[in-house]
Amino acid sequence: MKNILLILFAFILIGNVNAQVKKMGSSHSQKALECSNCHSCDIPTKENPCLKDCPREVIATTKQKPEEGPDVIVINKLKGNEDLYKEVTFSHRLHAEMSEMSGGCITCHHYNPPGKIIGCDNCHNTSRKREDVNRPDLKGAYHRQCMDCHRQWSGNVECGACHQLKAKEPVKDKLQAGVKKSHPKVETPEKINYRTPKAEGKNVVFFHKEHIELFRLDCQSCHSNEGCVKCHDQRPASKKPKMSVDMKHKACSSCHDTKAKDNCVTCHNDKEAKGFNHLVSTGFNLGTYHSKLSCVRCHTTQGKFTGLNKNCNSCHGNWTKENFNHKVTGLVLDDIHLEFDCESCHTEKTYSNPDCTSCHDDYKYPTNLPGKKVKR
Amino acid sequence: MNKSRRNFLKTSAFMGASIAGVASTKPVKGAPKNILSDDRMGVLVDTTVCIGCRKCEWACKSAHDMPTDPIEKYDDRSVFDKRRRPDAHALTVVNEFENQNGKFPIDVKVQCMHCDHPACLSACIVGAFSKEENGTVLWNGDKCIGCRYCMVACPFQIPAFEFDKAWSPDIKKCDFCFDRTKKGMLPACVEICPMEVLTYGKRSELIRAAKEKIRLYPERYVDHILGEHEVGGTSWMYLSSKDFAQLDFPKLGKNAAPGVTEAIQHGIFAYFIPPIAIYALLGGVMWLNKNRKHEEHGGDE
Repeated sequence: MKNILLILFAFILIGNVNAQVKKMGSSHSQKALECSNCHSCDIPTKENPCLKDCPREVIATTKQKPEEGPDVIVINKLKGNEDLYKEVTFSHRLHAEMSEMSGGCITCHHYNPPGKIIGCDNCHNTSRKREDVNRPDLKGAYHRQCMDCHRQWSGNVECGACHQLKAKEPVKDKLQAGVKKSHPKVETPEKINYRTPKAEGKNVVFFHKEHIELFRLDCQSCHSNEGCVKCHDQRPASKKPKMSVDMKHKACSSCHDTKAKDNCVTCHNDKEAKGFNHLVSTGFNLGTYHSKLSCVRCHTTQGKFTGLNKNCNSCHGNWTKENFNHKVTGLVLDDIHLEFDCESCHTEKTYSNPDCTSCHDDYKYPTNLPGKKVKR
Repeated sequence: MNKSRRNFLKTSAFMGASIAGVASTKPVKGAPKNILSDDRMGVLVDTTVCIGCRKCEWACKSAHDMPTDPIEKYDDRSVFDKRRRPDAHALTVVNEFENQNGKFPIDVKVQCMHCDHPACLSACIVGAFSKEENGTVLWNGDKCIGCRYCMVACPFQIPAFEFDKAWSPDIKKCDFCFDRTKKGMLPACVEICPMEVLTYGKRSELIRAAKEKIRLYPERYVDHILGEHEVGGTSWMYLSSKDFAQLDFPKLGKNAAPGVTEAIQHGIFAYFIPPIAIYALLGGVMWLNKNRKHEEHGGDE
């Protein structure tokens, strides 16, 4: 009996471990990782993941708003007597604001076990002379973090951008400046015309405002992993990367099918295209209520926006004269008209303008109304 | 072991006499396999991290009391227009290589690799080079006679000669900051590097760390640690995102550079048999010629 229990217990244990491995998500399991890279115990659980302090992998568990973090951090953990430079004032809030469109907190806080955000020196040794050479020391870690972005701006390495030589007199109090600094509000353009070098269909007008206001896309849904250089590129044209056709289409292809040949004309036109108008393009007026919805509420198949039935019943199938409040249309029906079935007046399935002629010979909507107009 | 030139000449004269007298000596291995300590140090250069700030060049010159521009001048990137080599005025230089479209350029620091079996040491006829226990290949000015064989022998073309000095020119090459490491300090370039492109540690540990990096980030590195096996292994080793041949590294085999030359040199003089054989052969020919001449002379009479 004891043996059977033991075997049963072993099976349960194996089952548990399997379940947890699955839970970690595909990105986690696809990496060349061994459990012991991150976990100190053999069987980590959700309650006790027994995470080691410093695996090199990107696992951040903390997300904060820019205001929640410190405004300014004075980097002085590496102070020495023979330092060339003064300590560095790091405008944390400014950088946090900037990171919102470029990957978020995780960009720098690339590993954080559950709980509060830990400092770089928790994992990165302050001494360059050390036993464990697997990860950079603190000085290296700081610089690698900063230079990845700062190098992109001009293509140069300017120590002076962050550092001030000790010998030099203070020019201005960088600490004060850092507190006040915040990233200027990013202005969104109405539209951008990307002119292609091709003779045919050279105008590709991107309606930026429309994508935000009409299609209700978050900034992050397009601008998620962008470097500062996206806007602040000071490199000469020859040093700028040349974009391949695929790369140019990448921003659009998450929603628009850019591979299908017939689809080119959707964006590529000889003349500058006009903005999207649901009524002109599809014949269906969105009106007050439908324009408030995001596209996918009705166009549920991702990436495809065609083939919806214009009949109201195709979506709102269960509306009858009993459960439909006519007030939402901006017209309160009088007591007489309230008694009729919807179809008595609305002969078309689109429930647009009513037809009065079945009862009233010379009445016409909207000259004559079956009730009172109200504000909706 | 502080020998002066006079001492060297004395010993070599004595050695010559004893060789002539005894006509057999033990072959001396130039490559000091006996001194390679398991704990010897090294530097791993991760060229994918280097930003080309050239602070190492400044630190190197400062640490070796060589004339240098102020540190701010090193921000000037126009030096990268030309490919440079370490010379008598700069023991280390950083070169920049264009990268694929849009990626950062690749910066590569060049200096003495501090071979495990140094060709310079083997080629030096007066024993002015030594392989120290911590991995350093050291040049000793007291012994050097300025023959510059080391410059020819080096597979990485590192040793440089002070051609502009008429009096007592030196051989100049990176000394792995031997004076600093002796005191427990880091090499000057390693200490100043802002990105820790240069990781200083036990050579065996560095190889392990480098292999781990390649395993974790296969898209970032080519699967090759330059210096792990090249010319029998070097103390300085490199990681790169590109084939090393494209970064101006010479293509080298795994055999130690002194291997072939020493085999020939030592072979020729092994137990002094080949020289004696040659002398014997020449003597034989002379003797035969003499005999023939004698016979011809005798025939005339």
